[in-house]
Amino acid sequence: MKKNIKHLILFFGLLFTFSPVFGQLSPGELSKAHASLEGLNNCTKCHVLGDKETSSKCLECHTEIKTMIDKKEGYHASLEVKGQKCAKCHGEHFGRDFKLIHFDKDTFDHNLSGYKLVGKHSKIKCVDCHKPELIHHKISKRKDGNTYLGLGTDCLSCHDDFHQKTLSSNCTSCHNQEAFRPAPGFNHSQTKFPLVGKHQSVKCVKCHKMEERNGKKFQQFKGVAFARCTSCHEDVHKNKFGNDCLKCHNQFSFHQVKQLSSFNHDRTDYPLRGKHANVDCKKCHTTGNYTKPLKFNRCSNCHEDYHKKQFVKNGSSPDCSNCHSVEGFSPSTYGITQHNQTKFALKGSHMATPCFACHKTSDQWNFGNMSTRCIDCHDNIHKNYMDARYIPNGNCKTCHSENEWNQISFDHNTTNFALLGKHKQVTCQACHFRKDKTTKPIQQFKWKKQECTNCHTDVHYDQFDKNGITECLRCHTNENWKPEKFDHNTARFKLDGKHKGLACIQCHKTISQGAKKYIEYKFKDISCASCH
Amino acid sequence: MNRITHKIYIYTLVFITVFVFIAMAVYGRNYYLTEVGLRHFHNQNEMLKPTGLIGHGVGIIGSFLILTGVFGYMIRKRIRRFSRIGYLKYWLEFHIFLCSLGPVLVLYHTSFKFGGLVAISFWSMVAVVLSGVIGRFIYLQIPRTIQGRELSLNDLSGIEADLYTELKEQYHVDDEILSRMNEAIVSLESRESKNFLFHIFQRFYLERKLKNQFKSELKTQDLSGKNLRKVVKLFKSRTILKRRIEWLSTMQRFLRYWHVAHLPFALVMLVIMIIHVTVAVLFGYKWIF
Repeated sequence: MKKNIKHLILFFGLLFTFSPVFGQLSPGELSKAHASLEGLNNCTKCHVLGDKETSSKCLECHTEIKTMIDKKEGYHASLEVKGQKCAKCHGEHFGRDFKLIHFDKDTFDHNLSGYKLVGKHSKIKCVDCHKPELIHHKISKRKDGNTYLGLGTDCLSCHDDFHQKTLSSNCTSCHNQEAFRPAPGFNHSQTKFPLVGKHQSVKCVKCHKMEERNGKKFQQFKGVAFARCTSCHEDVHKNKFGNDCLKCHNQFSFHQVKQLSSFNHDRTDYPLRGKHANVDCKKCHTTGNYTKPLKFNRCSNCHEDYHKKQFVKNGSSPDCSNCHSVEGFSPSTYGITQHNQTKFALKGSHMATPCFACHKTSDQWNFGNMSTRCIDCHDNIHKNYMDARYIPNGNCKTCHSENEWNQISFDHNTTNFALLGKHKQVTCQACHFRKDKTTKPIQQFKWKKQECTNCHTDVHYDQFDKNGITECLRCHTNENWKPEKFDHNTARFKLDGKHKGLACIQCHKTISQGAKKYIEYKFKDISCASCH
Repeated sequence: MNRITHKIYIYTLVFITVFVFIAMAVYGRNYYLTEVGLRHFHNQNEMLKPTGLIGHGVGIIGSFLILTGVFGYMIRKRIRRFSRIGYLKYWLEFHIFLCSLGPVLVLYHTSFKFGGLVAISFWSMVAVVLSGVIGRFIYLQIPRTIQGRELSLNDLSGIEADLYTELKEQYHVDDEILSRMNEAIVSLESRESKNFLFHIFQRFYLERKLKNQFKSELKTQDLSGKNLRKVVKLFKSRTILKRRIEWLSTMQRFLRYWHVAHLPFALVMLVIMIIHVTVAVLFGYKWIF
């Protein structure tokens, strides 16, 4: 037994001789961060003798944590950590490789750090934010940045300033943490340019253009010109109506034009004149879209061709304005001058004739395929009465003129009956429109035989008839009814003697034979006794 | 304490030890299986870490049990004034109980983390426990009276003769079987091996084999049930007795050597434990106090 005791003394002698053995009093190796504090002499650098408390010693070194706790910032100042001992979370004496900072990243309540993770922040990985390049405040002992400390809480401490300092640095006033786009906190109505009408549905980028600035994508939000519509919109009117588009247009639709009464159409390429000035806008702008360009170079762009293509020549119609004006469809501005340029120049009475007399023979106006023949307009009263050669091609001008219908200028010599003597003085009607007993004029231009009795009454009651013809000119001339050509000596009873001095009537007595009452010139009996 | 009471008592002690071992293992299995570097963050750390409420508590209680077990037994055994207090056998059993349960608790106090100076104490404790187990084996191989006095070879031979008579007369075991078994038991002695440990295990193996052989032969003798069990038990006692008679001098020698190992480890354990406790108290780790 004594031997054993000797061995024991030897054992403990050796044990305590070597200082490293004392070092073995430590319950375990310190972590890498605290490796410099290894050794028996350093125990009290962290431990307070007689008291388990080490936190005060920890904070003597880790002033960055103490500062944050004092400033009531960060996780260590949270209610969960405040008052706790450092060693509760940050164990020691677990070996060199022991990780002093250890927490479950999945269950860590980030709210306690003073920065509540919401939206996208709650879905991304810790290292997406807690990475060396984002550590702005080198407050951690770990200068390599491999720490959860030192991350700013303002957005721009991690995120690039997309707006490149053109907007406020208070990102959350517009953006939330779900996504950069859209920015639900942004209310355009609070800007100097509240969005009205179509502006509300237009994509932001249409006005806030994307560009590249400082080598980065940039979208301009501040400083976008908006005082005039033309800052963004093209002035399709080329400044004809001034700069204030809202005078006519509104933001709901470019095509919805307001205050039409005040719209000065004169500024357009089609000033409203005449009747157009009083026409309802929608009569022309039928779609209600006043900004939709309308063709106006031809009346037919708006107006129906009243004449139903009657004027089409070579496939195209002349414009209405050739005949009409904006002062009204009627009367037409088409005048004699223009008419005289047609193949039917107006002369004489035609000049005074109203258009409709020729061109509106029915309900419809007719201008196309107008005939130049007289008989196509005028009644041919001579039809069946007159030889067609006197109305060649339906033309009445052989006899009539356009100046006056009744002014006949027919050369009767061209007929078989040249007018001689008194015939020259009588009216045409006297022969050709003789009135019968009923006073109804009887038109006649053709006779079977050329006899005086065709026109004249045989007052002699066929006394001078020879072969059925009473040839008046044997006794009479065309000058009068005196029997100037009669020579009593050529008769059966030659006058001589006392007979020469007698008045005709002394021999040729008027006789009545029924209704007939005439002078008897031809006696059956020329014997003296017949008179004497 | 009669035989049954003693048995219950022993089983109770064993149960307590095993229960504490298992209960702690079950309760802290997750914590203890966690990597050392991560245990600090385990939710049971505050309870089961060596300075935790349970971890520290079991350390203190375990240490107290060990100190009680060691010094109680030492005092009873070595100081004459206390030599008449209780049977030494019971003291030893209680010593074994305390010094089994104590290390079990200390084991959980370490949380299976063995480092630093105190590890020497722990491993010394382990050495003491293991040597205690071996010692207990050696101790059992030396037949004693209930007071713990070693029996002589003559005493043992007498007991063996009684057993033989009991088998033959009370249970009427066939002479032929008995004589054949005797021969077999005697033949066990003649087997020798250079390797002592192998020899021990070989002996146990052969004894078991012989017992089974005897049992099957007895079944042909119209023995069954309770009587069969009693006869087999008698036969087993006889083989054990025979073995102990054979190994008596060897085991007595072993026991002397064993003391040389068991005690110094215990002392090393105690001294370093005192340093460990002192340092812990110095740094403020006073458990609930």
